[in-house]
Amino acid sequence: MNVDQFLRDPVSRRRFFAMSGVGVAGGSAAFLAACGDDDEESFAANDVEILNGALGLEFTAVAAYEAGAPFLEGELKDVGATFLAQEQEHVDGLTAAVRDLGGTAAVAKEMYDFPTLRNQRDVLRFANELENKAVAAYLDAVPKLSTGDLRRTVYTIVANEAEHISVLLGALEQPQVPQAFVTGSAS
Amino acid sequence: MSEKRLTIRDGDVDTTVIADFEATRRDAVRRGLILGGGVIAASSVPLLLRVRNAFAQSEGDAGILEAAIGLEQTAVVAYETAAKSGKLKPPVEAAARLFQKQEQEHADALVAALHDLGGTPPAAPRASDVEGLSDVRNQNDILNFAIELEKMTVVAYVDAAGKLRSPELVKTGAQIVSNEAQHLVVLREALGKDPVPGAFEAGQSEEQPAAPSGP
Repeated sequence: MNVDQFLRDPVSRRRFFAMSGVGVAGGSAAFLAACGDDDEESFAANDVEILNGALGLEFTAVAAYEAGAPFLEGELKDVGATFLAQEQEHVDGLTAAVRDLGGTAAVAKEMYDFPTLRNQRDVLRFANELENKAVAAYLDAVPKLSTGDLRRTVYTIVANEAEHISVLLGALEQPQVPQAFVTGSAS
Repeated sequence: MSEKRLTIRDGDVDTTVIADFEATRRDAVRRGLILGGGVIAASSVPLLLRVRNAFAQSEGDAGILEAAIGLEQTAVVAYETAAKSGKLKPPVEAAARLFQKQEQEHADALVAALHDLGGTPPAAPRASDVEGLSDVRNQNDILNFAIELEKMTVVAYVDAAGKLRSPELVKTGAQIVSNEAQHLVVLREALGKDPVPGAFEAGQSEEQPAAPSGP
């Protein structure tokens, strides 16, 4: 399907993000089951699960910026390359955090089923959608992380994703800061 | 006797985040780089170094909210002063008005949260209370001042992320810090700087000049 269809069809988008291995809203059953337990190990296990969910989205973003790169022109080519590199830094940081917790880090999928990207505008719109999904996921995740260190790190990552959104909106000639409270719902 | 705004409490730094921020700012001032080479009045430096007082001594969520409200109110005053100064080109003035409105929304939400905790919000500062604000002379000065204030705010929220107890406030703080980061994008672009210099926006990065556009 093309990007227009993808962006208009909530069922396709939910299916896509479910296949990316990410539970975007409501947290995971394992976390809810472990809630109320003071055991440090279960906190770490919950953190691992949450961070791996975020990793899944970051891998998706990396793949998207790679797929979109050939369509970007001029200054936007540099922007795409920068954002790709920054998403990769998020991947590296989250991977290290999971391993520090003694967990096994999620890995990239072999293939991603993206909507058809036909031109620069498709890439910008798709990237914006993914960035918004990442923001929403991080906002859901951050209160559930058990340490101050992890919450601080996620604040700096979600702030960076929000910056990506502002640049993409500018390239799409839309208002760059549409909300006082960034929620990750692409308007 | 009333204190200048942002001097909430003096005391020792209790996190490396604040200490690192101060160290980089002092170093940048010493090297004359604090505004990417732009000139800033010496009296603005106290504003930039006072972030330690914004959060370091706060106790509990109510204390953190008080400090955050202080920062947001300062931003409201700064953007309002900037927008009314007549020194900004129309699109930049429009951005200042929008950001003033958004900082006010932040302050209002945080005040409501503080009331829920039974706390009392600080009084809003006047423009004359915001050190360094009267020294800005042109659009570039204003933009650089706003960037430093926004970065200080980001530093403070990132610090708060590790200290807040309420999950709801942790989430609200993340929504707010994301908006402050978006302000930074627009301000940096207005100065011709790299809008997203780092992968982790902690309010600490050296401001980067714009990347040269290739052929």
